[in-house]
Amino acid sequence: MSGAVVHASVSSAEQPLRAEGISPVVDDPLELARFTRWEGDETAQRIGVSSLQLSGMHCAACTGLIEGALTALPGVLGARVNAASQRATVRWDPARSRMSELLAAVRQAGYGAVPDVAASAREQRRAEQRSVLWRLFVGSFLAMQVMMLATPSYVAGPGDLAPDLAQLLNWGSWILSIPVMGFGGMPFLRGAWESLRRRRIGMDVPVALGLVVTFVASTGATFDPGGIFGHEVYFDSLTMFIAFLWFGRWLEMRARHRAAEELESALAAMPETALRLLDDGSVEEVAVARLRPGDRVRVPAGAAVPADGVLLGESGGVGEALLTGESEPVPKRRGDTVLAGSINVVAPLEMRVERVGADTRHEAIVALMREALSQRPASARLADRVAGPFLWVVLALAAGSAAAWSVIEPSRALWVAVSVLIVTCPCALSLSMPATLVAAAGGLARRGVLLSSLDALQSFSQLRTLFVDKTGTLTADRPVLCAAEPIGPDAEIAAEAAPLPAGGDAWRDVREEAGFGLSATDARGVEWRLGTAAWAMPTGPRDKLGDGAVWLSRAGRGVARFSFDEQLRPDAQETVRWLQAEGIRLTLLSGDRSGRARQVADRLGIADVVAGSGPEDKLATLRAAKVGGEVVGMVGDGLNDAPVMAAADVSVAMGHGALAARRSADAVIVSGRLEGLADLRRSAVLTMRIVRQNLAWSAAYNASCIPLAMIGWLPPWLAGLGMAASSVLVILNAQRASSASANARID
Amino acid sequence: MDILYLLIPLSAVLILVIVGIFGWAVYSGQFDDVEREGERPLMDEPEAADGPGARQRGD
Repeated sequence: MSGAVVHASVSSAEQPLRAEGISPVVDDPLELARFTRWEGDETAQRIGVSSLQLSGMHCAACTGLIEGALTALPGVLGARVNAASQRATVRWDPARSRMSELLAAVRQAGYGAVPDVAASAREQRRAEQRSVLWRLFVGSFLAMQVMMLATPSYVAGPGDLAPDLAQLLNWGSWILSIPVMGFGGMPFLRGAWESLRRRRIGMDVPVALGLVVTFVASTGATFDPGGIFGHEVYFDSLTMFIAFLWFGRWLEMRARHRAAEELESALAAMPETALRLLDDGSVEEVAVARLRPGDRVRVPAGAAVPADGVLLGESGGVGEALLTGESEPVPKRRGDTVLAGSINVVAPLEMRVERVGADTRHEAIVALMREALSQRPASARLADRVAGPFLWVVLALAAGSAAAWSVIEPSRALWVAVSVLIVTCPCALSLSMPATLVAAAGGLARRGVLLSSLDALQSFSQLRTLFVDKTGTLTADRPVLCAAEPIGPDAEIAAEAAPLPAGGDAWRDVREEAGFGLSATDARGVEWRLGTAAWAMPTGPRDKLGDGAVWLSRAGRGVARFSFDEQLRPDAQETVRWLQAEGIRLTLLSGDRSGRARQVADRLGIADVVAGSGPEDKLATLRAAKVGGEVVGMVGDGLNDAPVMAAADVSVAMGHGALAARRSADAVIVSGRLEGLADLRRSAVLTMRIVRQNLAWSAAYNASCIPLAMIGWLPPWLAGLGMAASSVLVILNAQRASSASANARID
Repeated sequence: MDILYLLIPLSAVLILVIVGIFGWAVYSGQFDDVEREGERPLMDEPEAADGPGARQRGD
């Protein structure tokens, strides 16, 4: 498999459409389902939304080429490519096209593409790693050797070096430069050729032009020292430039691979096979895709749970790091829900499958992450638009300085033009933005905050007003018992009955009435009821209806009243204080009666409360806040406040339930910790600062180095070093977005 | 100094041979996971026998 992806694109330029190395297996519906989501109804017009992992992309301009190649196919409705994560999302009609044709089209355009399932992505990463390492070695090792052969001509005084010996040294440099051009330079030449063929301008064009001019001129000088190219050779600059380029690529690739691996290890816990229990007690091993709801499955200790389901026995502990960000295993009892992708830590468990495949929460999270990673944020689209004109300006400047120098000093004209071409570093301009945002998204994912829109980072960094929903957001999902008052003459019987174990044998005929409550018969044959007032006391006083409390009754007569209160999330207080210290104005939104909402707000120190409001009121309040032009955010549980969230500039949904309603939320805090808000804010501010730093650096670098190259102060090798160093700086700076957000905590 | 006329072409050939050897090493997977080889002595026997490093040798 080594390098097959790379080599496929070598031959594709001159071949007609050809699915080299693409197995028709990808067209198999079961295989397709692993990286494709289906929209529309099952029969008539089905639209597939597939994720592809790309390779061979160097710059923002490549995204346009790949999108163009895909959308040119019949049956493709749309394609979206993200340069930083190297992923594409394609919307296509399976009736008019096949997946293998889509993959072939991308390869035809000169890039690698495989379905975005973890295994083939890993294989692709390995191939890319080998290919980049190989090119880096060829470039740097041979650059050193060429430098040794070039040294005599630098140190020798006039006449010290015999002309034929100088000729031999040049010849040696030429021989050693050929592999560097072939292996190290070819990807740039090919990239430039592809973009020119499509009448676009890409980042490879100036680089390739510089390489070709240097190589051709130096070759001419080697074999015909008295010819039009003069006698100066620049093989040392050429090889060193290519080595620098690959060093930058190599660093960038390692950072990208590390981010991908981290995300994968968090997400790709799904097993390939499952152990299904048959009715006769035997066990068969089946593919996870073959599991159906209702199946009973055994999960060995240390293995991942293959589907969402219900435990059929006790379990010592299940690790749900992916779903909650919590690394400690959670003990589970019979009847508890276990989620696909969580790890069974202690002992083998048996479960009944309830949801499989794309319906599982694991798949929901994976789909969310994929969607976010294949987006091109608005800010990056702006950078793409700037990159094209910028490159034209560079070409014009190079031509202009060549023309000027051919008047001043013709022998230097060529080298000045080459320096201008290779010193420019548009990569900082176009690569820094998506790379930083993706790094930040990866860092946040490790902390249990999933971004479904990368633009959320920008909005959240400018946030001025944040609306917070009360129930399920500031307070825990489950209410806690705050008072139990005995009532009526049967109070002492309640005391007698209380010690009975809830699940014990003493109760018979336990019945659950949805929306009302429970009923059961005790050992003496008396019926007890637990639930709403109307259910517990059908003949009792009507005035207690709908008071929110839970009533216990014995034979229709009230025994006790339990009232519940909402409990603040443990980290609510410090998070609210932290956000207020950041200068964010918090407003509590609640549909509850104003007394309760006010109580919660006072405890947390939130001054503004809008209570007793329905969804329309909430929406109106939010719109009113937006009138001033401030960036307004909304945090809710994502279930009943979806329209309000959609209206906010940036919205965050809390907790697990939110995944179902995630379409309206820009970020989901799966861990259910409010601290996630602080993480998000901190990461957003840092990310935007890094983006600004990179843009400022890029502007300063290009503005200072291009004039230096034009006046002839930068020899080509120094120009190459400058360009590579600038790229490396930008890439390393972008990586900070991931690490800092992962380590920080509320003080 | 005449020996240079032999040594320079010879060194060029030698360098190309070294590059070729390195290419073989890269594409046979010797550098795929550099850290792992250092950790191998610390691992339990069965893990070392069928870990990814062992499988890559079979490619």
